[in-house]
Amino acid sequence: MSSRPTFIGAVEIGTSKITVLVGEYSGRELAIIGRGECSARGVIKGAVVDFKAASDCTHAALQQAERDAGESIDRVFLAQTGAHLEGFYNEASVNVASADNLVSAADIRTVCHLAKAKELPAGRSVVHHIRRPFRVDGRLVPGSPENLVGQRLEVGYWTVHGQEQRLADNIHVIRGFNLEVKELVLSSLASGHMVTTPEERQQGVLAIDVGAGTTDFVLYRDGAPHTTGVVTVGGSHLTNDLAIGLRLTETQADKLKLRFGRADVVTRDKAQKVWLDGNFAIGDRQFPQQTIEQITSARVWELLEVVRKRLGGAFSPETCAGGVVLTGGTSKLPGLAEAAARVFGVPAHVGEAPQWVHENLRDPGYHTALGLLYYGVSAQSEDTAPDRQARGVWGQVRRIFGLH
Amino acid sequence: MTQLPPNVPIARHWRDIPQPVKPRTMSRGGRWRLAWSALRVVGGVGFLCGLAWAGWMIVGAMAESSRSLPDSARAIPMRAPEVRTDGVLPPLWVSTVLAVRPNAALMELDLEQLRRRLLSEPQVLSATLTRSFPDRLIVTLSERTPVARVMAEVDGETRALLVARDGVMFVGEGHDPVGVAALPLIEGATLRKLGDSYLPIEGMGAAAELLMRAHLEAEHLYRSWRSVSLARLASDRELEVRTVTGLKVVFSANADYFRQLAKLDYLWEKVAGVPVAQARIDLSLGREVPVYLEVAPPGGVDQAKSASTKVPARSDKPSFMTLPAATKGKREF
Repeated sequence: MSSRPTFIGAVEIGTSKITVLVGEYSGRELAIIGRGECSARGVIKGAVVDFKAASDCTHAALQQAERDAGESIDRVFLAQTGAHLEGFYNEASVNVASADNLVSAADIRTVCHLAKAKELPAGRSVVHHIRRPFRVDGRLVPGSPENLVGQRLEVGYWTVHGQEQRLADNIHVIRGFNLEVKELVLSSLASGHMVTTPEERQQGVLAIDVGAGTTDFVLYRDGAPHTTGVVTVGGSHLTNDLAIGLRLTETQADKLKLRFGRADVVTRDKAQKVWLDGNFAIGDRQFPQQTIEQITSARVWELLEVVRKRLGGAFSPETCAGGVVLTGGTSKLPGLAEAAARVFGVPAHVGEAPQWVHENLRDPGYHTALGLLYYGVSAQSEDTAPDRQARGVWGQVRRIFGLH
Repeated sequence: MTQLPPNVPIARHWRDIPQPVKPRTMSRGGRWRLAWSALRVVGGVGFLCGLAWAGWMIVGAMAESSRSLPDSARAIPMRAPEVRTDGVLPPLWVSTVLAVRPNAALMELDLEQLRRRLLSEPQVLSATLTRSFPDRLIVTLSERTPVARVMAEVDGETRALLVARDGVMFVGEGHDPVGVAALPLIEGATLRKLGDSYLPIEGMGAAAELLMRAHLEAEHLYRSWRSVSLARLASDRELEVRTVTGLKVVFSANADYFRQLAKLDYLWEKVAGVPVAQARIDLSLGREVPVYLEVAPPGGVDQAKSASTKVPARSDKPSFMTLPAATKGKREF
């Protein structure tokens, strides 16, 4: 590792805003030194629909972050979300090759390769291969199975893939700023990594990132991501429902949502009304609070139900002792944790960033960008570790003699 | 060893998506970054090229030493040194001092050593030696100019040495003997030696200034000066000049020599007609100039000397002379 630190930009191109954090990575530790934000334009439900508008505001956020950090970003970790992202599970098993039934590194490589080998439809590209724990003769192995004794080695991968054009659009937005996208990370993995603890992930926990346009979720089991998914419903749908139901503009509806929206109905008095602006100006009018709560809670419940349905058999309260952790901008909606607890039948709470995160970055809206940095750095270290090993002197010798 | 099956399908990864840089899709910030990175590359290449060029030049300069001179340049014998001087030193004397081996080549000379030889001669103030290829050595000298003489002991015998403005004493090669004989003698100075050579005379600067000013401004007075005494310079800041007629003139080293010379010139005219055996004019007291006169008897100075022993003809009191207003200011000669 060179002595010069690397300046990594974590970019989240969201539906409502674009967030950029700059991290100074010295090889051992990561420090956040800059932040840039810009209201998103040209992005709908996580997908770039107006390249120029999306580029302009992304580049503005990048420039702001670089100014704030006082350094130039070297590489970018980009969050990925959208309806085009899908996942499937594929597993493979091999018979342990050696006569003494000792699992070798070659066995592990083979089974991993086979488990990842799956043809995708045309125009689809893999975003993540998320490995689940190994099993040796059906026995779960949390770590590496190398040198364990068994006859059969099994492993499964949760493969996330997306539409290549959509992925390329996001990448080209960043390339337009002459920056290289070094890592593409699912938003759910990034935010889930930030708001859950290793213990919770070991026990089983469901992290739901409720954004403006999409809701990303990841289910952890046995310490590793088990299932991920994206639902293209978010906070903007609540605003839209209010606008239609109460005949308001988007801005007015958003204002009402932020002030009086809830994920559950607590107002019993139908006659209790709230003012739109509260300043008694021309155009200011009253709305029944119970109606507002009914509209927002109905959409939230529907959203949570969709998530539960998408998880299917992967989720069960027995395997999710850690409960549900909510994050994202819409997680600030009052009553959301209670609603999630009732939908999933497990305890739920709004996730918080670890204590070492600076006060300015503790808002749930930054969890994805924060997680991008930390997840991206750790994922890169894992990816490059075998390469470093192979580049060593012993790796060269093995390559010369064809040993694997 | 487990081998991978040959026909395992491989899915396309997002890393396979090309990430070309297309200026068309770039914002202004992106283009600026692109230009800046290109500039850095160009700057880096330029810096490396400059470094390589500098290294090449240094290696070239190191390789080009005196040993790389052609043999012809070293084989040509040197001609007699070409002397360029602002004084009177003859080329033969310079050659003798340099003592260069006959038929020596120009590159064999140690110029610094030769220069030291020249500077060891007190008459030489500065010396520059230049090689002019293929066979000429140019010696450029700056010499000390004598302003007075001093009697000193050299090699066991007393002889007159020349004294320069800075007090350095030297034999005086190439000087006109008549001109040298006309120089006034320095008296009353303490001569100190360091090894075989004399140290510069202390206080010579004040005396040299007086002599040069008199030589330039009042040459008719200067011609009659026989000696300058520095005996009372350190204690009273006074210089005593003795003329060939026996007149003693005291100058103040603190006052303006020009004014003092002007007063002397005025008095000189007054005293010229008076037959005196001895006279002393003290110019060191400002406007009041005491003049001691010992009037000579009608028989002449010799008789006056003998008469003075017998008859105290001179007055005990000095006659004070107040200079006319015309001499108060400047007086032109």
